[in-house]
Amino acid sequence: MTMEMDSLRFAPYTMPESLNALRAEVRAFLAEECRNFSPVHRSNSWDAFDADFSRKLGERGWLGLTLPKAYGGHERGALERYVVVEELLAAGAPTGFHWIADRQSGPLLARHGTEEQKKTILPKITAGEACFCIGMSEPGAGSDLAALRTRAERTDAGWRVNGQKIWTSHAHRAHYMIALIRTQPAGENRHAGLSQFLVELPADGITCRPIKDLTGRAQFNEVFFEDALLPHDALVGEEGGGWNQVIEELSYERSGPERYLSCYVLLTHLIDVVKEHASNATLRKIGSQIALLAALRNMSLSVAGMLNDGKDPGLQAAIVKDVGCSFEQGLPELAQELVDLEPTLANHGIDYQQVLGNLVQLAPSFSLRGGTPEILRGIIARGLGLR
Amino acid sequence: MSELTNILEESVARLFNEQLDNAVLTAVEESGWPGELWDMVSELGLPGVLLDADHGGMDGSWSDAAVVVRRCGYAGVPLPVPEAIVANWVAARAGLELPDGPVGIIPVTLAADAFAEGRFGGKIARIPWGRDAAYYLGITSNQNVVVLGREGVDIECEDNLGHDPRDSVTFTDTPVTHRAETTLPVDAVRWLCAMLRSAQIAGAGARCLEIGVEFTGQREQFGRPLSRFQAIQHQLAVMAGQLATVEAMSAAAFHAMDTYGIGAGGRDARFEIAAAKCRASDAVEPLTRIAHQVHGAIGFTYEYGLHFLTRRLWSWRAELGGAGEWAEYLGRIAQAEGGENVWAYITN
Repeated sequence: MTMEMDSLRFAPYTMPESLNALRAEVRAFLAEECRNFSPVHRSNSWDAFDADFSRKLGERGWLGLTLPKAYGGHERGALERYVVVEELLAAGAPTGFHWIADRQSGPLLARHGTEEQKKTILPKITAGEACFCIGMSEPGAGSDLAALRTRAERTDAGWRVNGQKIWTSHAHRAHYMIALIRTQPAGENRHAGLSQFLVELPADGITCRPIKDLTGRAQFNEVFFEDALLPHDALVGEEGGGWNQVIEELSYERSGPERYLSCYVLLTHLIDVVKEHASNATLRKIGSQIALLAALRNMSLSVAGMLNDGKDPGLQAAIVKDVGCSFEQGLPELAQELVDLEPTLANHGIDYQQVLGNLVQLAPSFSLRGGTPEILRGIIARGLGLR
Repeated sequence: MSELTNILEESVARLFNEQLDNAVLTAVEESGWPGELWDMVSELGLPGVLLDADHGGMDGSWSDAAVVVRRCGYAGVPLPVPEAIVANWVAARAGLELPDGPVGIIPVTLAADAFAEGRFGGKIARIPWGRDAAYYLGITSNQNVVVLGREGVDIECEDNLGHDPRDSVTFTDTPVTHRAETTLPVDAVRWLCAMLRSAQIAGAGARCLEIGVEFTGQREQFGRPLSRFQAIQHQLAVMAGQLATVEAMSAAAFHAMDTYGIGAGGRDARFEIAAAKCRASDAVEPLTRIAHQVHGAIGFTYEYGLHFLTRRLWSWRAELGGAGEWAEYLGRIAQAEGGENVWAYITN
């Protein structure tokens, strides 16, 4: 008897009807708020950084939806958050300021943080006033994250940290970093001896140097730790338990709607550009992508349901990200196959061209952030029992 | 997941695992209709999964039916079990009880003017198991469910690539044995059969992946199992991703049938059904290509039997509308509604 691929079945998850009102409310708010954002700005999706906008979301009660009430959260569940997030992304709202905090750092602190950490920080996340970054990658530790070498030593004064992080989005303007740091030298089990820390930014001994990306923007950073001193209670969760905590975080990071909606704004513009004189062949190409989008949305929602039910959908989350990324990266290709308009920089050409120009440049990053296809396919292969 | 879902998962899997193997599938290709298996399927009540208990059914939902249909794909079942499920449901909704025996389902709208004095005349192409059917069922252009008998029926035998019968049936003054008005749209049978194929593709795709995983774990080259090679692992991982999209969208379509049904206008399951068949048909290429590639030459042999699945997949891909036709339906929605409004369809 062979194994049966039941884990790939992604049971439909029904969004409770009670969430329709929330969705309508968010939609109405976004229709109003996003009116003045340019299409190209909207195509930056969850990279666009807008503290005022995040605060407005906080005021409406749409951040920290899953966080405990005792710490200022709303305790409304993962599906409520899912609705808000997918509406934000589909509208191309600027979510970069609160993105990491709301998606993973808040839930991480709620699960593993100290009482003090929860009391001080979770209310700020819910209010849309805390910007987080993730200190994982290092120059010698990209996909091979366990190779990281930044180390923290326990001293009387606190944890003394030395080392370097890289590709840290928003580090230069974030209030906090959740950093994965070695607290024991790497032994035979490289996954042991890693711990997560809450790092307040800016801080003495920590230097951020923005790295300009190929679009000319500087969104990610190198972060240097030179005898940076973190308080004793900066540790998040268990000392040495960082690896498992990070893996848990990645389930949240990999299956959300952001994994297939990065180019959604382009799809909408593409539809409108070809609208009048679309041939059957063109409509077929677009329809085929709509079918894939619908499938991905069902998969992603199914994973949200599994998370909501307390399951561990690590494999399914990896599949959503892998397929979602192929879909996202395929859209600029499809657009250029169907429409003879070249991609342009912002403020040149029509809206469609600007959006295309922006996403053609951003697309390579989609398969780098949050786990490359190579890593994801390794995880999927393990799930299939191949390794 | 309902209790019935679990019971069906187990009982249908057991039946087909016990009754179908390469030898049986080969024999069916050579000599046709596996009557004993059909009797067992009927005994188990699978054609009536959607019927009320007081009509001899299981009170099942479309999501329960999906389990059966998917299993039929998984096992390459050479019988019109999925079609029988739809036919029973269409008939029951119109208050008709179907005769005994296998149904020949007519997946096109029957022109009302082809009927005269209780008889039907016309030629219908590619009726699944038309030669073996005890009767035929379709919906007319004036929203009647009709059952046609075997009298005056001439069959031209044709098979699809999987050697499942897809016969052209010429009806000459064939009596209408049952007729009743229906609230279903005139094209409902075609849509529902397209949905069936999406689940069959999911099932057959899942089986292809399982066989691929099993085979690459056993076959050694360069001193280690193929499954240890990253290139092989990644191919199978891509296949798993493609399969997942089919599984998810197909399940969503059946689920949408439970929630909304299929109507003539307004919110119904059409968006999900179109997306499910489009996605399933689009995925057949990578699913079958990778399944064969990881098997090497052995998978190309008749004896090994991967082809019982892949040949069916290649036909199911195109039957009842290929990816292009269903994609065009979705593309037209986008064209009519405008880019921003596609989102409302995705999120219901």
